[in-house]
Amino acid sequence: MTNQQTWIGKSVHRVDAPAKLKGEPVYMTDRPLENPCFGRVLRSRYPHARILRIDTAKASALPGVICVLTHKDVPGLNGFGIVIPDQPVLCFDKVRMMGDALALVAAETPEIAAAALDLIEVDYEPLPIVDDALAAIMPGSPLVHETGNIHLRTVIRRGEVAQAFAEAAVVVDHVYFTPRQAHMFLETEGGVGQLMPNGELHIWCPAQAAFRDRLQVARLLGWDPERIREYSSPSGGAFGGKDELTVQHYLALLALHTGGRPVKIHLSREESTVAGIKRHPFMVQMRTAAAADGTFLAQEAFVVADTGAYASLGGPVLNLAIEHIGGVYRFPSLNVEGYCVYTNNGISGAFRGFGVPQVLVALESNIDEIARRLGRDPLDLRRQNLIQRGDLSAIGNPMTTGVGNQAVLEALENSPTWKERTAKKAAVTDPWKRRGVGIGLCMQGLGLGKGIPDYGAAVIELLPGGKFKVGISIQEIGTGNQTAYAQFAAEALGCDVADVEVIQGDTGYSADAGTVTATRSVFTGGKAIQITAEKMVALLRSTGAESYAAAYAVARERGLETKVRGSFAWPEADEEIPGAFGLPHHIYGYGAQAALVEVDTLTGEVQVLEVASVVDTGKSINPMGVEGQSEGGVAQGVGLALMEDTVVREGRFLNANMSNYIIPTAGDVPKVETFIVEVHEEKGPSGAKGMGEVPIVPTMPAIFGAIYDAVGVQMFRAPATPERVYMAMMGDPSATEDTPALRARIAEGRRAGLAAQLHQTEGEGYAQPKGPEDEEA
Amino acid sequence: MKVTVAVNGTYYTREVEPRLLLSDFLRHELGLTGTHVGCEHGVCGACTVLVDGQAVRSCLTFAVQMDGAAVTTVEGLTPAEGELHPLQEAFREAHGLQCGFCTAGFLMTLVPYLAEHPNPSEAEIREALSGNICRCTGYQNIVKAVQLAAAKGGGR
Repeated sequence: MTNQQTWIGKSVHRVDAPAKLKGEPVYMTDRPLENPCFGRVLRSRYPHARILRIDTAKASALPGVICVLTHKDVPGLNGFGIVIPDQPVLCFDKVRMMGDALALVAAETPEIAAAALDLIEVDYEPLPIVDDALAAIMPGSPLVHETGNIHLRTVIRRGEVAQAFAEAAVVVDHVYFTPRQAHMFLETEGGVGQLMPNGELHIWCPAQAAFRDRLQVARLLGWDPERIREYSSPSGGAFGGKDELTVQHYLALLALHTGGRPVKIHLSREESTVAGIKRHPFMVQMRTAAAADGTFLAQEAFVVADTGAYASLGGPVLNLAIEHIGGVYRFPSLNVEGYCVYTNNGISGAFRGFGVPQVLVALESNIDEIARRLGRDPLDLRRQNLIQRGDLSAIGNPMTTGVGNQAVLEALENSPTWKERTAKKAAVTDPWKRRGVGIGLCMQGLGLGKGIPDYGAAVIELLPGGKFKVGISIQEIGTGNQTAYAQFAAEALGCDVADVEVIQGDTGYSADAGTVTATRSVFTGGKAIQITAEKMVALLRSTGAESYAAAYAVARERGLETKVRGSFAWPEADEEIPGAFGLPHHIYGYGAQAALVEVDTLTGEVQVLEVASVVDTGKSINPMGVEGQSEGGVAQGVGLALMEDTVVREGRFLNANMSNYIIPTAGDVPKVETFIVEVHEEKGPSGAKGMGEVPIVPTMPAIFGAIYDAVGVQMFRAPATPERVYMAMMGDPSATEDTPALRARIAEGRRAGLAAQLHQTEGEGYAQPKGPEDEEA
Repeated sequence: MKVTVAVNGTYYTREVEPRLLLSDFLRHELGLTGTHVGCEHGVCGACTVLVDGQAVRSCLTFAVQMDGAAVTTVEGLTPAEGELHPLQEAFREAHGLQCGFCTAGFLMTLVPYLAEHPNPSEAEIREALSGNICRCTGYQNIVKAVQLAAAKGGGR
């Protein structure tokens, strides 16, 4: 953009900072309540069991208990789930994970509610569990759902794969494992439900999809959605973990039985960890072929994602992972078989990166090995294989929008972390420590993808004195979009940011612009606000007034509507990828990182010293906000690579609290230097794309590459804990998981997966995955 | 049990259960919800308040222990309507918060720290912050905020 802009591209201070800094009750779980009562959820005692009996008589009789509810009290559909409603609101026939809900209690105090939970009698008949995703595919495995353990199978084949591998000079083939990362947002799931005097149900709950939440709640109540109002912004952190219903369904049911009193639920940290969604653990077997001159020839992968007991967004997570299986590189041939499977391991769902970090670590690590075996510089080898605009991506998507991989690679090459790596590595002080530098490149599909309704909408209201209220459903979960929206509005309306109040996440005021997911909030909100602002400008003109303040007076005098609405549909790819629901995406964000690490050879401990983080944002709306997202993404990436895993054994959680689920502190997070590159996206608002997920993606491969550079061992399982790094350095056999036995199981899993007869998945828009017979035809 | 405690300069006398945590006392009895509870185990530091000027985790402290003490919460840090404490202002300027849920704990940890260490190095700041968890920012801008506050006079 050549025209001068006042607000776009400026590091405006967060508009929500003062209230948050002063400790004002901006969060839903801090809401002051008049005469509240307190709700609790009875969770399962077993990861998999038949329910024989639920008796609530004693609990109901406890003084101070207001109501005890079971599945019999769910008036509508006893199921929820973003894509398919396979998760019971309250379980009735069996439980499938430790976080499953069986009953709800509302009581005068939290203590009475807790005591009442203990008085609910449940008889279980424990069932065999399946706690290994690969095992879940095999015939004879215990079934989590009667329809089979394979929730989604996605197979994409392109080009002459066998021939490519036969002709390759180098073939690298490894198996990688990534952990069940927990979101660990500081504000656990919670909120308030209340039946209002006008008969409406109001829910205050930090969330990521207000209108979809309302639809899901309406469905389980058997209500008209218009009778329900959800307030869902801001949130004390979300990262995808509040995309699914968290407690809205429980609040709704309880609020129908508390006589109009507000009922509050606020999950404990342990309950949040056990019942809430996690990052899908992945097993990725990846085989990559390259020619002697370094040209990538073929990519073959077998991907298994553990979605736990229920689908949530497991299908889309698998498919986004598969879409990015070739990263930012050209691969003329591809053979990928992906499975999203049910187990009794809690539940997985959306988490920043949405499957992409899980496969990218495999790809980038394989590329590093190809570079070593060909004697090539790893950055140079990557450059040689970059997708160009107009190329097909690995899955066959024509890349017709702004491709930023070249720009991020060049910025990375010029970053001090990469450029001065020799000196930085030599600066190690202790003789038992070794330093290394590694890199990772990524892209990340923005928006919901082909065939999935994706749209934006906003309302703008003219207020007295020429001020504005902007309503948009997309929530402020910490990313800074409230500030970005104020900037978009101020720019388009020609006013000051301070004159714009942004109302988010309120179904009673904000227009439905979908979810705060998929790095779509800047694009969606920005575009919606710009389109809506045009209507406000037209209103100003129609009044003939010279200022908005005057226009307001004229509009009132003439009885004109002072609230305008606008909407648009997201651009999407022309052709879908056959057999892959939601693929491809049309617009991608790009990132690249270099990590400098220091490995203690005596303990295996890895300290990340610095990370250069390059982000292609399209036009950067608020550079300070971009830097903040970049630094936060890297921190989560460091946790993913080195520290974090929700350990679930036989379906039970071993580290559900922050005292044993360790996330990075200020002492663990490196110095992050962010480099913003702006590859203009003509379809985006002011050329912007979005970037929130991008920075978590390249961190893990960059760190793994750096560990190899430092001590000469490749890590195949994240997190790379000191024990794992040490054992790998020692050449201990326990460090080698890629055994003939595992390869045999993988071969068996591939056969079983392709042979499995899949049930038509019920629900909205899920196509029957393509079977092997179709592939041959 | 009866407890009399000064919170943000106001005396409160309340009859409380002996097991009532200070965090719950502040949030539920007094309605001071600026103090957040993130982990309930003294790990995350979100619930940090000042007790007689020292940073204390209110989730690990019983309300009855506060008898006769002076407690300051984030609400007490803010000087007057519309204004921010210098440390709060530094957080705003340096973009030292995102979701903001952990922020009160950082502020209350830093107030006594900066009083004792007016010119900390970056490494010292990171050490001082390492008992507080932030899941959004990656800490870098929090460190910058502390440096900014220190440069402007210790954030007092």
